[in-house]
Amino acid sequence: MAVTDMPEFIRADGPDKVTGTGRYTADMTLTGQLVAKFKYAEVTHAIITKLDVEAARAIPGVFAVLTAADVPDIRFTYGIADRTLFATDRVRFEGEIVAAVAAISDDVAQQALDAIVFEYDELPPIVDLEAAIADGAALVHPDVDSYVVTGDTPHSGNVATHSSIAMGNAEEAMSNAATVVTSRYVADASHATPIEPRAVVAQWEGERVTVYTSTQVPFDARNLVCEALELPANRVRIIAPHLGGGFGGKCGGHFEPHIAALARAAKRPVKLVFSRWEEFIAPDRRREGMIIDITTGVDADGKIVARTGNILLDNGAYLADSAFFPQAAAMHVAGPYVIPNVFIDSRLVYTNHQPSGSVRAPTAPQGCWAVESHTDEIAAAIGMDPLDFRRKNIVTTGSVGAVGQTYDEIGLDQCLELAAESAGWGNDLPDDEALGISVGWWPSFHSPAGAYAKMHGDGSIQVITGASECGTGSVMTLRMLAADELGVDQTDIELVYQDTGAAPAGPGSSGSMTLFNHGRAVERAARQIADQIKELAATELEANAADIVLADGKASVAGTPTVSVPIVELAGSSPDGEILGSATTEDIEWPEIKGSTCLGDQGFSSWMAPQFSCHVVRVKVDKDTGVSRVLEVHAAHDSGTIINPIAAHGQIEGGVTMGIGQALTEGTQYDDAGRQRNAGLLEYKLQTIADAPKITTQFVEIYTPNAGPRGAKGLAEAPNVATCGAVNNAISAAIGKRIYQLPMTAERVWAAMNDISLEEA
Amino acid sequence: MSTPSNRTLNAVELQVNGVAYPVAIETSRNLSGVLRDEVGLTGTKEGCDDCECGACMVLLDGQPINSCSYLAVQAQGREITTIEGLADGDDLHPLQRNILAMGGVQCGFCTPGMLMSATALLERNPTPTEDEIKIGLSGNLCRCTGYAKILDSVAATAVEIS
Repeated sequence: MAVTDMPEFIRADGPDKVTGTGRYTADMTLTGQLVAKFKYAEVTHAIITKLDVEAARAIPGVFAVLTAADVPDIRFTYGIADRTLFATDRVRFEGEIVAAVAAISDDVAQQALDAIVFEYDELPPIVDLEAAIADGAALVHPDVDSYVVTGDTPHSGNVATHSSIAMGNAEEAMSNAATVVTSRYVADASHATPIEPRAVVAQWEGERVTVYTSTQVPFDARNLVCEALELPANRVRIIAPHLGGGFGGKCGGHFEPHIAALARAAKRPVKLVFSRWEEFIAPDRRREGMIIDITTGVDADGKIVARTGNILLDNGAYLADSAFFPQAAAMHVAGPYVIPNVFIDSRLVYTNHQPSGSVRAPTAPQGCWAVESHTDEIAAAIGMDPLDFRRKNIVTTGSVGAVGQTYDEIGLDQCLELAAESAGWGNDLPDDEALGISVGWWPSFHSPAGAYAKMHGDGSIQVITGASECGTGSVMTLRMLAADELGVDQTDIELVYQDTGAAPAGPGSSGSMTLFNHGRAVERAARQIADQIKELAATELEANAADIVLADGKASVAGTPTVSVPIVELAGSSPDGEILGSATTEDIEWPEIKGSTCLGDQGFSSWMAPQFSCHVVRVKVDKDTGVSRVLEVHAAHDSGTIINPIAAHGQIEGGVTMGIGQALTEGTQYDDAGRQRNAGLLEYKLQTIADAPKITTQFVEIYTPNAGPRGAKGLAEAPNVATCGAVNNAISAAIGKRIYQLPMTAERVWAAMNDISLEEA
Repeated sequence: MSTPSNRTLNAVELQVNGVAYPVAIETSRNLSGVLRDEVGLTGTKEGCDDCECGACMVLLDGQPINSCSYLAVQAQGREITTIEGLADGDDLHPLQRNILAMGGVQCGFCTPGMLMSATALLERNPTPTEDEIKIGLSGNLCRCTGYAKILDSVAATAVEIS
């Protein structure tokens, strides 16, 4: 069977991907290209005393060696501009780039790195969150007060940003509560871990540079190149070939400016391909470690009356896109519950760890894990079934949540019942097995996004979008929207994407925004073409344009489908030779959604078109070893209307599996200096096919007033929220002891079963 | 450490997807790098260079190997099959067709290696149980799919071809 015989939901990039002909960034080869390598600090906290690259520059075959002295002296990053391309006076984490080389081969590039003289005086590493915010603590950024600050970013010392939620009077309500439960949860850092290590290729033509790169957000990468190298936007073109996964880790720009600068200095194309070790230690997109203290008071009926929380998030050395993390974490610790009195304080703390940044639903797996584990502790304390406790306390349509947001039509209650029923909640299980339940939530974000659509004279159609396809299938879904507007088959439409030289700006593949925002722009651009075709058809068919219907590749008069003209012919009759559409989402009026945040509002104080989920997992624990296996996951999601069912199920299955990895095995281990000890795929263990459980997915498709196209909300991050909490609740139900650290490794489960403290052991 | 001037190159002929490719390579070169950079077939991916992820899986005389950790010179005289050799002209292999139709492809970076492992599995065991499929593919990491649709597509292919 040839590819062209494929049914409806086959992804347009699929044939490339199954035949090996699709090009990813590392597959690019440009004539004369050089090999790039970075010199990393490897030490986590030090003052640089000597950096001499002359010997490296003198090696035959070395075309460029760059340090901070060779690029514009610019600090960048939204929130706090704390970052430079290369280390200047000091280094703050092991993966900080000290110098970059471009050479004729891998070997010569390595020789150049070895020839760089890099000397430093080590400083005590700042790696303990509580010590870092204590009075008199040494600062990761002694000059932080001189940095440019943007947005609502309250900061002080090692606290990079600070956010709080305050509603009612939590202290008084807590003192009147019938039962009060207090917990402390500690989550280790983890990683996005796409299977494709990142790669960048840069080539200059005169004063213009084209950068091929594995970014999820090409426009952010372009903006970073422009800012760091002082270039205008019209001289920088970012093209992302096929992306080998991102999971947030490839959001924004990373190493594009370094490679563009190397290529300019070397006067040759330059290519960087990361090793797996570099993929672990160098990017500024690690999932942050957290310490979460929560106290909740309930009344005699089991209704939550008050919650207080104190959250510390490990930001690492530099702010990446993490300015919103404290607020997002606070939202998760509040949770999708009705709580009249809340006080949650949340701080993002500078340390000498790798920087933290967006990883699929940032702050959610850890925050949700903590609060949902805590929720089961409350239920146990008052002797109530965990499902019943959630029934009594979750937000439903019309209720007011913990930040004062009133919810329109939402389906969390339906998710709860569907997942519990699917899993057989309450049925007897063997002694070493148990079910655990967790609910979760995640916002949909409004962002400006644009799209162009073109119908050429021959009737063929291009949709040009600033969206990015990191694998989810969401860009593939965009042509379905355009096809419906135009009354053609989606296979008649070619997508142009991941090219800042061709497309209008947009948020790429980030924040589950592709369908929600880019989808809306694509619909509007296609509709503009449709309107022009209708005008041409009206003339041709001697009818009113308002009565023209586009379907099956034809324009016809409503009610008389036999009076029609092929759309292809109309395209050719356009006086301009082609028909153009250009649309953005900028003029869409979004409803104001108010929430309560006292400090540090980065847009997370309330959630537009919030997505809800409930996961019930069945876990089997080996009581001799503490090894836990997830046997089944029953997921129910309210992500609004589902437009592409195959892709949607794929997102739930992938997100849940990532969640199981984070629950059981994926934790970054550090040595005392803050260097990663398990920066490899044997030591940092992802789920394999042999580990993966049976996943049953149900969607609650309800009308959402402020959702995206056809009532669709976001989707791809939501499945990575609730799983860790459900796994903890199942393990705890099976062993009768609770785990307070994430991931819940075999050692930690075994230690809890045997009342052994691993710290003391 | 080798430099351009003291490299010793070996003249090797690699038989890849039925075509003979003469290449001049150092003994230390791994097969995945030679396939990608010398032979010009970039469908074989490199995700870890350490036998951890399986993205570089190719068949050597029908046996799946991690080509990142196999010396290219050792492959001389043996039949190498890469993802580019799986389809029969324009006709996709049933595994390719089914993994695509059933949603087992997302980012696609693990897909070539996954398909080569699955091909080897079905060659030696055309009627695998679910557990046998899991064992056969356990050396291939996928971060996108959660494996469910990959598993289904291999099972469906087994039914189709047996």
